[in-house]
This record gives sequence, structure tokens and C-alpha cells, in this order.
Amino acid sequence: MVLSELKVGEKAEVEGLLAESGVRRRILDMGLVKGTKFKVLRVAPLGDPVEIFFKGMYLSLRKNEAADVLVRKIGETGDGAPMREGRGGRQSGS
Amino acid sequence: MGMRREIRVALAGNPNSGKSSLFNGLTGSHQKVGNFSGVTIEKYEGYVDHQGYRIRFVDLPGTYSLTPYSPEELVTRKFLIEESPDMVVNVVEGPNLERNLLLTTQLMEMEVDLLVAINMYDEVEERGIEIETEQLRGLLGCPVIPTSAKKKQGLEALLDHVVRVFEGDIDIRKNKLGFRPEVDGAIREITGLLRHEPDLSRFNPHWLAIKLLENDREVYGLVRDYPLWLKVERVLQRVLGETERLYRTDPEVVITEDRYAFIRGVMQECVLTPGEGRVSLTDRIDRIVLNRVLGLPIFFFIVWLVFQLTFTLGTPLMDGLDLFFGTIADAVSPLLVNETLRSVIVDGVIAGVGGVLIFLPNIVLLFLGLSFLEASGYMARAAFVVDKVMHRFGLHGKSFIPLITGFGCSIPAIMATRTLKSPSDRLATIMIIPFMSCGAKLPVHILLAGAFFEPSVAGNVVFGIYMFGVVVGLLSALLMKKTVLKSESEPFVMELPPYRWPTARSVFWQSNIKAMMYVRKAGTIILLAVLLIWVASNYPKNPAIDAALERQIATIEAGELSRGAKDVAIADAENSASAEKLEYSVAGRAGRLMEPLIRPLGFDWRIGVALVTGLAAKEVVVSTMGTIYSLGETDETSPELKTILKNDPVFDRATALSLMVFVLLYIPCVAAIGVMRKEVGTWQAVALYSGYALTAAWVFSFLTYRLANLFL
Ligand SMILES: Nc1nc2c(ncn2[C@@H]2O[C@H](COP(=O)(O)OP(=O)(O)OP(=O)(O)O)[C@@H](O)[C@H]2O)c(=O)[nH]1
Ligand SMILES: [Mg+2]
Repeated sequence: MVLSELKVGEKAEVEGLLAESGVRRRILDMGLVKGTKFKVLRVAPLGDPVEIFFKGMYLSLRKNEAADVLVRKIGETGDGAPMREGRGGRQSGS
Repeated sequence: MGMRREIRVALAGNPNSGKSSLFNGLTGSHQKVGNFSGVTIEKYEGYVDHQGYRIRFVDLPGTYSLTPYSPEELVTRKFLIEESPDMVVNVVEGPNLERNLLLTTQLMEMEVDLLVAINMYDEVEERGIEIETEQLRGLLGCPVIPTSAKKKQGLEALLDHVVRVFEGDIDIRKNKLGFRPEVDGAIREITGLLRHEPDLSRFNPHWLAIKLLENDREVYGLVRDYPLWLKVERVLQRVLGETERLYRTDPEVVITEDRYAFIRGVMQECVLTPGEGRVSLTDRIDRIVLNRVLGLPIFFFIVWLVFQLTFTLGTPLMDGLDLFFGTIADAVSPLLVNETLRSVIVDGVIAGVGGVLIFLPNIVLLFLGLSFLEASGYMARAAFVVDKVMHRFGLHGKSFIPLITGFGCSIPAIMATRTLKSPSDRLATIMIIPFMSCGAKLPVHILLAGAFFEPSVAGNVVFGIYMFGVVVGLLSALLMKKTVLKSESEPFVMELPPYRWPTARSVFWQSNIKAMMYVRKAGTIILLAVLLIWVASNYPKNPAIDAALERQIATIEAGELSRGAKDVAIADAENSASAEKLEYSVAGRAGRLMEPLIRPLGFDWRIGVALVTGLAAKEVVVSTMGTIYSLGETDETSPELKTILKNDPVFDRATALSLMVFVLLYIPCVAAIGVMRKEVGTWQAVALYSGYALTAAWVFSFLTYRLANLFL
């Protein structure tokens, strides 16, 4: 499935990028590479763009761009809080 | 003093990592900082003397990677490649290390002398993130210095390291990142090939090879003209085949993934993030501010609040200043016995320049409001909330940031469009920026709204004018996008930074700079314009008018009327004589000439003159009116312009609204036109635009005047 099909609160992992050159470059630079886990935080009031959270940062992208990101759903938490896992680095206490 | 040795150091890093803040802290400069990506759009230099060296820092626009994406990012890459600074300080955002290190890996590939400043270390500590800098230094192979531009920590250490690296006291290992074997093999092969071309020796062949694999168009262009290209191309084709077969993607993606793999390793070894923890302040604020239902109302409320406060808080201060200048005029006036000199000072300088200066409090408040939006982190959120609307009108969510800046001044706003990638989005945004009512137009709006509407609604009238500008701007953008600027819309991928408190220091300096600029403008351009206007509205003199006036006064005095009635008659005669004199002057004649054009809008020749002189700077509209109307006044005391306008038969609500709309929409000031020309590249586009703006101004003012006459 693709990122734009995810609902608010769902977590997923990036599997690859469909996009051509320009957009893909920017998405890659932002760190949405294969294996990155993220959570869909919210959708803007008018239904587009969406905001996702990963690696400790908040990123917004239009559904149009989100449709170019191939993802695999890995669960959902349901609330609007950003997830803490999937963030780079060791977790304390582990 | 002996010769100081210079060290040139570039500050490079991701957008919003705090480069400008660090630059300001290091060099004592006051470059603009703000909590969103793309604040700095041009390079700035500053220096500091340290341990016998003059260290010249260059603050660069932020960039996510060295394959540039938007025009301002190009500046950074160009600088690093073409001006080869002695050293690069890579400023990374400590709390957001993982993403920030991507650029670090690319700088490592350039094999420059590199230092990494982990900035915002205060936030790192506050969030309980632990970074083992010694380990990081080992893995990156370059010095790593924790800094906090906000708390002014680590700045000395950074300077010490710069000097030590320059002196060769610290060895920078220049670690090489490893990629997957197919890619690494190709890099080695291409590097070998490039070494044989002496023309390319000024570039690092290793870096060129990586960039070729990353499909970098500019580097392609660089290498393509040499005979070795054939061989290089063969290698590129081969790797492409290999990565497609093995990883089902191209080398560009493989390279980025491998950089991130390296970074993941670094993060695992050096960074300890607290696990599932408290919900951050940013999350809590965003749940409300970006809420699906509340998001838009809150956005409008915030913008409304900025303008409302500008008006409500500013007005009492403005009235105070107005009174102050009035008192000065009254005090100075009797001292100046020479009639001409008195008129220059009182009607020209005080009415004209003072008339503009009284708006200083409003201007400062406006900029305070805007800088709060910029510094808090709300700007990116607002772009997020309105992107869909902007998209409908063919613009980009990010266009929104320059548009808001345009409420302050069009010039930085036009330059800020460099953060937009697509040229047609940029052009459309540049063209509508002048419709965002700038700070210089604020005095006109405040003067007119204040004179013709009750205090309780005047603030909303001003807000309404601003919104009207936004609507006209958006519709114009749509028109352009549907006709001359058809294009694919640009993708929207934007980071939302965490909320931050603006530092008092930067807010103070920003508003101080804006206030000084305004005062300086009043003392230069506006003063000059006022003196010219004074001359133009006083000469040539017509002695016949004075003679006629004297005869008239003599007749009145000789008549049978009571003392009081005589005085009234004399005042009347004097007033009509000054009006005749004004009309006889150069300004008067020029104004009369264009009066037929603006009559339908409810304007007389005096407003026409003010509009023309307003092209020098929009505040001049007010100062011209100040001068012309006070020349027309023959009172002993100098009433405020507001009062004069209220009593003027030409002026009513309809005229006031019509004039506000005209000033809002017509051609921007010469300085903005110049910048527009520079950013757009051709005069034709600017000329076309000016014609459009004038037409729009005329049509909308006409409609406003007619409708207001019907309904008010
Ligand atoms: N807490 C904290 N905030 C900082 C620090 N340095 C900068 N900031 C804030 O981070 C934001 C970005 O700062 P800038 O200096 O404008 O960042 P920049 O890297 O120049 O950004 P661009 O010009 O857009 O590339 C501002 O809100 C600063 O107040 C720091 O050391 N600690
Ligand atoms: Mg900056």
C-alpha cells in the first residue's frame, strides 16, 4: 500500500519510493528511506496535506506526494501522540 | 597592529539548525533568525578575532543535501565548491541528529576540513538525549563540538577548534563512507578515469564520481564534454543495470540508503534517546492548533489578532506622537519669521516627515507580531493549514511564508520566494506579493480608517483591507496559473519544527532594526520627497493671487460688517487664495492634468499627486497629503492631518475606502520594483505586471467608491 492510504494514528514502515526524480530526492533527503518507521499524526483541516512523525521529526507532505511512498502497515496506536519507537538510537533501559 | 591571518569558515547545515543564530553569537551580527526552514536565502559574512586570527564566518542558506533542490540551496553548494573555504563548520540540530547527519556524510564525501557543531545542545539536555561526542568524533573522523547558540555555550570551544584545525594541530581523518560493493567499485573506477583529465583537477574526483552516480545534472554537464565521458558513461550504465537487478532501484537511492545505514550505526553507538516518555509541548499545542475543526478558525484568529493589536495598541501611541509633532510645529512656527522658511519647516518637514514618523509605533507592533509568528514555529503550521487553499489557487503551501513576510515589506518577501523550487510558482508568488499590504501602506490605512470610522471598527476596516488584498492576490495567482504560467504544481514536503520561544535578544534586535530602517527612511527618501513636493506645490508663484487677496481683504475691512463676520470673510478669502496658489503650482497643474482619470474613483488632484509621489515609497502618500493639505490650511495652529481630512469636503467614507483600495493594489514602490526586476529577470514581466496592478487598482477602487456611495 502507499502512505496516502494510511489513516491517522497508523504506523507503517517505508518499503520504497515510486516517485520520479525531483520529489523522490527531497523525500530521500528528509530521511524517508526504506526501513524507516513512522506514524501518521494528522491530516490538515481541509483534508490535505498529512503530517507524519519519524526519527524525532515532524514532516508534512501532500497526499499526492504521499501516494509515491510505498509502505507496509505495522500497527496502530489510535491516539494522536507521536510514537517514540523507530526513533534512531538506543532506547534507555534496553 | 600586525597583519592578522585570516581563516575563512563556512557555516553549513540543514535549514533551521541554528546557523544564523550561531553566526550572530560568534560574530556579534544581527542576521535574521526564525523558526522555519529557509530564513536565510543569501550568504552573509562576518568576522571575529580569535587567538591572533581573523576568523571570517560565512552564514549560508540551509540545505538538506548537496544535491540542491531550490534556488537558495544552490547558493550553499556553489559556495562550498567554487570558493573552497578553509574549513566548513557543519551546524547540526542536536535533537534531530539523524536527519541532520545526512548532510554531514555528504560533506565528508567532499573531503573538506570539517568540524561538526552539535547545536541546540540545551534542548538535547532538556529532552534527556545523551550524545557521546567522543565516540561520534571517532566515527565521523572530525571534531565534534556541542554548542548552544541560545545559551551562548560552546562558542569559545568552537573558535579554539577552528584555529587548531587550521594550524594542523588536530588531524582530520576524512573517513570514507562505504557503499554497497557494486557502487563502491564504480566510484573507484570513475575516480580513476576522472584523475586523467587535468581540467577537472580543481574538483575532488571522488566527490564527482559519487555525484555522477547520484544523477546530478550539473556534474553531468561538467564532465560530459571530455573524451573520457564515453568510458564514464559505460560504467554508469553498468552500475545502473546491477543495482536494478540486485536491489530493484537505481544507484541514487542505494547511495542515500547506505548513507542512512551508516548514520543508523552512528546513532546506535553514540546516541541514547529516552524511550516512551511524556508528550512534548509541541504535540500538545499542535493537537489544538492543527485540529481538524479548530485549525482554520485559529489561523484566522491569529492573523486577525496581529493586525488588530497593531491598530489598537498602536493608536494611543500614535496619537501621542501626533500631538507631540503638533506642539513642535506650534512652538517653532512663531520663531521662524521668514515666511518661506516657516512654510518649509512647518508644512514640509513637520507635516510631511512627522506625519510619517507618528506611525512608528504601529510599524514596530506589526513587525513584532510578524516576528513572533516567524520565531515561534507557527509559520510552518500555517502553511500546513492553508496549503490546500493555496493549492486550489495554483500556489504552493510554502508560498504562504513569503506572502506573510509581504505584510512587513515586499522586498524581503520577494527574495524569500527563492525557497520555491518551481520557477512558475515563484513567479506567480512574486507577482502577488505586492497585493499583500506592506508596512509602508499601513500609515495610509490607519490614517484613513482612523479618520472616517469609529475606533471600534477602524481596526476591522484595516483588517478587511488586508484580507481584500489577499483575495485579489489569490485570484490573480489563479488567473496567471490558468493563462501564462501553466505548469505542474510543485511537490509539498515540509518540516514542521518544534515550537520555540523567540529569544528576547533576537526579537529586540529585529524590531530595533525595523524601527531604525523606518526612521532612516523618513529622514532620507521621505524627507527628500517632501521637500520636492513642497517646492512643486509652491512654485511658480503667482503674485497676482496675492495682490488680489490683499485687495479683497482691504475691501472687507472697509465694509460695514461686524468684527466677527469680517474675520470669517477674511479667512474664507485666504483659504481660497491658498487653494488657487496650489493649483497654480507645478504639482497643482500636474494633478489637474490627471484628475479626469481619477475623478471616477472619488479622488481630486491632490490625491493624484500623492499617489504619484507614493511610487517613491508608500509612506510618501501620507507625507504628500500632509504637506499639500497643510499648505492649504491657513490656520494659525496646525491641526492633525486626520482632522483636516475629516473636514475636507472632497473626503468622505467612500473616498477613504476607495483610496485605501487603490493604495493597496497599485504599483509597488521603486525599490520593490527594482528587486522584482532582479528576481524575475526581465523588465517586460515587470511592465506587464505594473499594467495589471494599475488596472486592478482602478477597477476595484471604482467599484469600492460606487458601492460605498450606495451603501454607506
Ligand atoms: N533552544 C535553542 N534554540 C536555538 C538554538 N540555536 C538556534 N535556535 C533556534 O532555532 C531556530 C532556527 O535558528 P536560525 O539561526 O534561524 O537557523 P538557520 O540554520 O540559520 O536557518 P535557515 O536560515 O532557515 O537555514 C530559531 O528559532 C532559533 O531561535 C540553540 O542553541 N538552542
Ligand atoms: Mg539562517
